[in-house]
Amino acid sequence: MEKVYLCKTSDLAENQVKRIDNSEHGDIAVYNLGGNYYATADLCTHATASLAEGDIEDEMIVCPVHWGQFHIPTGRAQGFPCEIDLRTYPVAIEGDAIYALVEVAAPALIAKG
Amino acid sequence: MSNIIKTIDVTDSLENLKEVCDIEDGRISGRIFYDQKIYEQELEKIFARCWLFVAHESQIPNTGDYVTTTMGEDEVIVIRQKDGGIKVFLNACPHRGNKVCFAESGSTRGFICNYHGWSFNVAGNLVGQHESGIYEASDFDKAKWGLKEVAQVESWKGLVFATFDPEAPTLQEYLGPMTWYLDALFDNQEGGTEFVGGCIRSTYDCNWKIAAENFVGDILHAGWTHDSAARAMLGGSVAKVSDFEESYSVNWNGHGYEFALDTVGNVAVLGESALNKYLHTIKPSVAERLGEFRANMIGAVSSCTLFPNFSFLAGQNTVRVWQPRGPNKIELFTWVVVNKSAPQEIKEKWRKGAMMTFSPTGVFEMDDGENWEYCTKTAKGRVTAAQDLYIGLGMNSRAEETSLPGNVFKGQLNEANARAYYQQWFDHLSTKRWSELPNRNFGKQEAE
Ligand code: FES
Ligand code: FES
Ligand SMILES: [Fe+2]
Repeated sequence: MEKVYLCKTSDLAENQVKRIDNSEHGDIAVYNLGGNYYATADLCTHATASLAEGDIEDEMIVCPVHWGQFHIPTGRAQGFPCEIDLRTYPVAIEGDAIYALVEVAAPALIAKG
Repeated sequence: MSNIIKTIDVTDSLENLKEVCDIEDGRISGRIFYDQKIYEQELEKIFARCWLFVAHESQIPNTGDYVTTTMGEDEVIVIRQKDGGIKVFLNACPHRGNKVCFAESGSTRGFICNYHGWSFNVAGNLVGQHESGIYEASDFDKAKWGLKEVAQVESWKGLVFATFDPEAPTLQEYLGPMTWYLDALFDNQEGGTEFVGGCIRSTYDCNWKIAAENFVGDILHAGWTHDSAARAMLGGSVAKVSDFEESYSVNWNGHGYEFALDTVGNVAVLGESALNKYLHTIKPSVAERLGEFRANMIGAVSSCTLFPNFSFLAGQNTVRVWQPRGPNKIELFTWVVVNKSAPQEIKEKWRKGAMMTFSPTGVFEMDDGENWEYCTKTAKGRVTAAQDLYIGLGMNSRAEETSLPGNVFKGQLNEANARAYYQQWFDHLSTKRWSELPNRNFGKQEAE
């Protein structure tokens, strides 16, 4: 388990998402949903798109490319063209710092259906 | 990003155009309403070149709001940008050309092509594709493959126009002093105008010019063609136009406005007395804003066409584009325009009134449609199409001493505007670029 620093809570307003570049594990998207923080992979599982450039609608992140959706807390893909769930990371808050807890041997992605 | 449209090569002009359009001689011929070759020339030399009406700003107030329409036969999307500007794109995917937007209007994050999943944002940029990895492996340059953006887009008092031609003059220059007259409908109150309701679309088997020409300066037909409809709506015949003491035909660059100064002659045919009353109520404030002369125009017996195919009637408040669909077919797009500041029930009455009179089943529209279709259909006869048609009324009616702007002619029962319209048509078809177009205006640029 590796603790990856993301950003400060003060850098992430409510209902905002931010991309944190990470060449080792892949870029991470960090979200503030009404004061709760979440982290997921930033790359859409359908094609090439940074989810941090998408819009948050309720608990969903809408991909900016084909508008497929993922449930932010669970990473669950909501349907065509997004069929593969998004990897999520547990989040730890220490003071005003947000960290993602990254499992070093990543679990295989699970295709839906 | 470079999504700028590729301009088309302009072909040579047809020979012997004068045989079908000789304005000095006061004649045209039916061939210009039926000939496929002439029509193809019009698409490239007029519709790919002139400023064309594409939307009213009020239809697309927020980022991502769009309408779809056509510029000639080219389908386009008109969409509000993040910075408040407006862009116009070809409604065709740069991959295999599939149409990318099928709705007439809406609000969106962008457009995704149904065929292979290319996705474009509001600014027209290609933001991704299905199976993007394949493209990345082909060194595909996304920046070069956005929606193709129309060369120029400009607004005048809420009316949005676009042109495919980067060499076209500015919209201001194109409209010239006509804007002074357009104010009578489009800027007679603080806040300007808006469209109410949607776009009514219908088709006619007629040539686009015969309809546009009717609005550029043919009030002559009204008392005759529309007699029965007028009796139904007004309980009497159309005002006898030759009785008006003062009326004009004004044109510039082929645009034309014919009008009397009777304030409510046009609005009266909607059969809604509340609308006459509204115009009388605002008239003093219009006089303050625009002067007495134009206050008399707000709903007067009048009509206008901006070259090539945008027309309106002040008073009936119908705004329309005669979309060409081949030499002998049009698709008519109409909207109802009202003052933004007008009371809600007044706006509603205008919407209803325009439906009753100038919609596909409107009592006046049907009268006109029949005539225009037969002006077109007779030209199917090869011999008939070659015969001269008279267009010489008011040959010597120039208003010599006038403070009015534009090319001013005395009297609205006059074919001066129609002649100027067909002359502009002839000039466009005879030249390849804007710089070669003759300037035939003789009037004042501004009111004195
Ligand atoms: S790239 Fe995200 S939905 Fe297609
Ligand atoms: S035609 Fe549009 S993506 Fe292929
Ligand atoms: Fe008419």
